[in-house]
Amino acid sequence: MRKTGFLYDERFLLHSTGPNHPESPERLLAALRGLQEAGLLPHLIPIKTKPAPLKWIEAVHAPKHIMRFEEACMLELGEYEHSDNIICKETYDVALLAVGGVLEAVRMLMQGEIDNAFCAIRPPGHHAEMAKALGFCYFNNVAIAARNLQREWGVGKVAIVDFDVHHGNGTQHIFEYDPTVLFYSIHEHPTFCFPGTGREFERGYDEGLGFTVNSPVLPGQGDQEYKECIERDMLPALESFKPEVILVSAGFDAHKDDDMADIYLSTDCFSWIMQTIMDAADAYAGGRVISVLEGGYCLERLPELIANHVRILLGL
Amino acid sequence: MFIDKSMTRKVITVHPETSILEARDIMIDRRIRHIPVVDEDNTLLGIVTDRDLRTALPSPLLMDPETNQLRERIARLKIRDIMTKDVVTISPTGTLEDALLLMQKMRVGAFPVVDRQKKLIGIISTRDLLRAFINVLGLEEPGTLLGILAEDKLGQMKRIVDAISEEKVSFGSILVARHWEEGKRAVFPYLLTNNVAPIKKKLEMLGFELLNPMEWYIDQLPKAKDK
Repeated sequence: MRKTGFLYDERFLLHSTGPNHPESPERLLAALRGLQEAGLLPHLIPIKTKPAPLKWIEAVHAPKHIMRFEEACMLELGEYEHSDNIICKETYDVALLAVGGVLEAVRMLMQGEIDNAFCAIRPPGHHAEMAKALGFCYFNNVAIAARNLQREWGVGKVAIVDFDVHHGNGTQHIFEYDPTVLFYSIHEHPTFCFPGTGREFERGYDEGLGFTVNSPVLPGQGDQEYKECIERDMLPALESFKPEVILVSAGFDAHKDDDMADIYLSTDCFSWIMQTIMDAADAYAGGRVISVLEGGYCLERLPELIANHVRILLGL
Repeated sequence: MFIDKSMTRKVITVHPETSILEARDIMIDRRIRHIPVVDEDNTLLGIVTDRDLRTALPSPLLMDPETNQLRERIARLKIRDIMTKDVVTISPTGTLEDALLLMQKMRVGAFPVVDRQKKLIGIISTRDLLRAFINVLGLEEPGTLLGILAEDKLGQMKRIVDAISEEKVSFGSILVARHWEEGKRAVFPYLLTNNVAPIKKKLEMLGFELLNPMEWYIDQLPKAKDK
């Protein structure tokens, strides 16, 4: 069994999105329930969080975005930049705590206290652009973790694998000129699904050309298409890149029972995807994986999906 | 939707006395395919396209580097020798729709934009129109496209728009495929939101059918008549 860190904090529930918003605190409670019922919690090493230092947020985000977001929460404006992005007074602090926890996971990983980690956080991050909140995301948790790995811990090459059903536009745009961060995303084809980016020909720019890899999947597809794409696109990219650490943007909304999109993955396919990522991490990255929750909105399916995900991290 | 809002204003031009080799180099360097020909007063005299140049020049594969004779003759050729004088132009108060339909009709890729005195003030090409329609469709703004089947009768669009507006979601664009099936239209609102599940449910409750995305189409060739 591996030493798997687990990040969760009750304060993540304080980011309140009001009634009927899919990105609800209940998502985390469902994740927690799943781990509890599967008897996995005793095996996990708790990761404690504190607010991330601003310098790490600023490693990715424009100061004016950070300030305006803080202000919007302080003034209780109700939403930030877009009616999708419902905020409350606590949202800014919760977002800082989420990043802070992921950075603590990075520290524990790099100091050998854990082998890998799962971060059950909200708000999610992969849509957040350098200077803009989008699609329920304010700070790009994985992007900040990648920069922290490189600048604080001297890691050279970081891969980010994003299997949320929506394209990780924010993460892509942050790193699309950067050959030291490989970004791979598999998602529903952008003509049919938010946010409308992640086409096959988006491959990065200049020195970063080839270090962005996208697998858009047509609506109605399921396990077979995902497995083919991952074997055809992700595995060769990871093999030639040889990352030192793999960050996972773990979204569970491509599940067939999740109504956010039109992809129909089985519960088992999520396990296959995560096991495939773990095998690649063992081959190139010394097993170093930090998985960070993004989307996934089906409260009935989340408990099992998260339990399976964490079981694979534990190597059980 | 007027041409002068979407045209390229900084037009690269040549004079009738410019050598065709120079014009060819300009096209390659600037990655353009049409160069208006003007006089000293910027009055439009003609247009030269990359096809005009290719037709006028011998194949580089057949050029013998040893014989400079041909090369010298080519170097003496001027734009006035090959330009099209009978140019189809468009006015700045013409519309994008005019340009689209005219391009289809004339089978050309760009129109010089001239004022009443035939002075060149811009050029509008397929590239400008592509950009304009990428903007119109909102393709570069984050959002989600829906496909909704609606009866082809008055007031259906209003019901759709009202239902979506009530959810406080704004529209990037709405496309309508008019000839879907007998008495039906397919409506494609591009919604600037990540959160379409509640809208889908609501539309279904209102009796609309959501189209299977794999069956969406907007562009349609004329149907073959049943025999």
